[in-house]
Amino acid sequence: MTATTLIPPEVAERVGTVAATASGEVNRREWQRWAVAVKDHNPLWFDADAARAAGYDDVVAPPLYVQYAVLGVTPLDGLRPDGSSGAVSGNLTFPDAPRRMAGGESTTFHLPCYHRDEITMVRTIESIVDKQGRSGPFVLVTWRTTYTNQRDELVAEASTSMIARP
Amino acid sequence: MSQQLYLEDVSVGDALPPLPVTVDETQMFFFSAATYNGHRIHYDKDWARGTEGYDDVLVQGPLQAALLARAVTDWIGPAGRLVTYSAQNRAVAFPGQELVFGGTVTGVREDGDRTLVDLELAATRGDDTLMPGSAVVSLPSRSGGA
Repeated sequence: MTATTLIPPEVAERVGTVAATASGEVNRREWQRWAVAVKDHNPLWFDADAARAAGYDDVVAPPLYVQYAVLGVTPLDGLRPDGSSGAVSGNLTFPDAPRRMAGGESTTFHLPCYHRDEITMVRTIESIVDKQGRSGPFVLVTWRTTYTNQRDELVAEASTSMIARP
Repeated sequence: MSQQLYLEDVSVGDALPPLPVTVDETQMFFFSAATYNGHRIHYDKDWARGTEGYDDVLVQGPLQAALLARAVTDWIGPAGRLVTYSAQNRAVAFPGQELVFGGTVTGVREDGDRTLVDLELAATRGDDTLMPGSAVVSLPSRSGGA
């Protein structure tokens, strides 16, 4: 089409850099609240005996939960107008494409997370590209993320993406 | 639940038991709370309609992804392991719509000392695929080992 871009130059420059690092403690009550919000009553997340019978040391967090263990605290006055925090994605802003949607996620799980594991996330901006979809132009942002535990063991690695539309 | 699935039970082409879910705004509220998600498109109807132009508030993409993963972890049983999981948001969903989460076995292969099962996944609404995905799982064998 044309050479127009929805990506501000100062945002484009951040490709390849670390967008965010965060750490947090895995908490049984928090992952159980997450699980019941998914109506996921898998005994591995709730019942230590069932988890041990399946080869774990104790109840484990649902694999997808690890991404939420590192979420920080955002003062409400610091939220974007749309209410989102942006902290975990590196506060990338696209003034010409303010409507944001989760794109996709692809995760490899290496180890389970237990109560009180300390998880560190490092998220790198892999790419930011203009795209043309059926409903018009959008920006696709892709991050690569690693999650390690307090023993420096790699727990999970993920590729996640976000779509921003005008 | 918790009946164990074994490798010997699985063949390419098998379908996972479909998981039908109609998300309501209570579930959306609790999911946003559990994920510390303040995004207005999930609870502020004026914002969702007026500012973003949607018909209603939107079911969270990560909730759909979690439900699609639940269809897998329910199926593989406690001794199964989720090795990789991938899902892409293709279309929005609104509360009150019946979504069906399911998948198909696309491969069974050796990987060192374990056997992996490849799955193609989808969250659908009627004939629409809202969220295609894939997963790799490991399953125990009836002869012992995983």
